[in-house]
This record gives sequence, C-alpha cells and structure tokens, in this order.
Amino acid sequence: MRQQKKIESSARTGWLKHLLPERAFNSALFFGVIPVGTEFGHWVSKLVALPQLKKLAVGKVPWTPLRNPLSESTVVLISTGGVHLRSDHPFNLNGDPTFRVIPKGAQSANLAISHQAYDRTDALKDINLVFPIERLRELEAEHVIGRLAEEHYGFGLMPSAKGLIPAIKEVARRISESGVDLALLVPA
Amino acid sequence: MGLLARGIEARGVTTVALGLVKEVAVAAHAPRFLYLHWPFGHALGEVGNVAQQRAVLHDMLSMAISASGPGLVVELPYRWRRETYLPVADWNKPSDALASALSLQGDLEVQGR
Repeated sequence: MRQQKKIESSARTGWLKHLLPERAFNSALFFGVIPVGTEFGHWVSKLVALPQLKKLAVGKVPWTPLRNPLSESTVVLISTGGVHLRSDHPFNLNGDPTFRVIPKGAQSANLAISHQAYDRTDALKDINLVFPIERLRELEAEHVIGRLAEEHYGFGLMPSAKGLIPAIKEVARRISESGVDLALLVPA
Repeated sequence: MGLLARGIEARGVTTVALGLVKEVAVAAHAPRFLYLHWPFGHALGEVGNVAQQRAVLHDMLSMAISASGPGLVVELPYRWRRETYLPVADWNKPSDALASALSLQGDLEVQGR
C-alpha cells in the first residue's frame, strides 16, 4: 500500500524528486539554478503546480457575477509575487503559507519583495509589474473603478497548495466582509 | 492562484486571475483566468510602460464585466516587447483582446449546437 502511494507520487512529480531531497526540490536553491522566465522555468512551474491543482481544484467552479458597474465597484489587489511592506516580516524564501496586508496608500519605496523563484530586478524598479497598486490608484482617481479597498494582500512562494488553505480562507473572509466587489489576482 | 480565486469567489466576490503559464491557468479551474506569454516577474509588462500596464488591467476588468459563466480561460495575444499599446478609450467596453476571445468562444458554442 505504502509502496503504491510512493510510486504514484513519483509518477506525478517526475524524476527530479528522486535526485533531490524534498526541501531542495521546493527551495530557492533549486529555483536559483534555473534561468527564470525560460521554458524550463515554465516547465518547473507546471511540474510543481499541476499535480496539486489536480487534487485540490475539484468540484463545481464557484461563480459570482459582478454586482455593480465598475465605476461603483470596490476593488482589491492580491499578488503572489512576494510583495510586502518593508516594515513587515519577509516571507520565508523556501515557501511560506502566510499572507501580508498591504495598505491602499503604500508607496513603492516602502514595499519589498521576498521571493526567489523569479528575477525581481525589474519588479524592484517598478512594483506595478507584480503589484499594480499605482495603476489602480490612478483608475480610482479617474473614477474608472469605484473605490480601492483599504487592505490589499501579498503572498510569497507558495509551498504546498494544501498548506495554504487556512490563509486562503482568512483572506477570502476578510475580503468578503469588507464589502469588496472585485478581486484582481496577479502572479509572480 | 487558482485556489485563491476559487476561495474568494465562493465567498461572493468576483475574481479575475492573471497567469503566465497556460497549463496552470487551465488546470486551476478558476472562475475567470487570463494568461500571457511573458517572463515571470512581468505579469503587467515592462518597467515604466504605463500604457501596457493599463492595457492588461483593462483586460482584467473586461473579463470581470463580460465573462458569462465560470471557468473561462482567455489567452492574451500580446507579444513580449513587440507591441504598441494605445490609451484605453472606454473602460466600460470590453478590450479588443477580450472581445475577440469572447466572440471566438461564441462561435464555438454555435458550432457545437
């Protein structure tokens, strides 16, 4: 039985898991040796995410149509690019199941990125590449959207999808209870 | 990302997820998913390219207003560093990228019937 489980899991994650210990497999060290943004980086992303999604993204897809016009909607921004306030705790670079709150008015000079699975050079020059808060503040000022939520959310490198469930539930609760209409999710 | 979108949408909030890997976008079974063929760390485009960043946001907002049912995955047609982005004329009208993806989807549905 145990043997069978082992075989199933190795079939899902491929040969690399045999060569590397679990921690190294998920770790920044592993990502660090990959030229990010390449075909190989995409391949790794699939390798890590697909088996987990197959298990967890099951059942009916939830559906909530936008209830108000954009110009009356409250919008929240969520980034999985490791963005957080400089004054806040950084994310664990090997994978972190927690989130950080980023206030609406946060200035880019006060934001940091703790994530090693992608090349942050450009995002550090322009935070909008992974966390378009300045663009959204402009859209709020132009009345394209009704209002930006007071709190926005950052996630780091996600370790296992399953481990993230408590944080997902908490963020979903905060967002729905604060009267947000629309959540925009932006990746690393 | 997909699980996050599903969790939030299940609490009664509209979600639009952006991604950079097609297979992940498809497997996520998120309510609304857009993806681009751009390098990691550049989901909204290039440093300082405000028109480009606004175009991607327009696509995301268009998805929020015009997707008609759950599970829609749309590929954005932009090539990396080889596009010119015009200012958005009307934010309440679906972007060209979204409109063409949706009409293609409509055609397929008609053919299916």
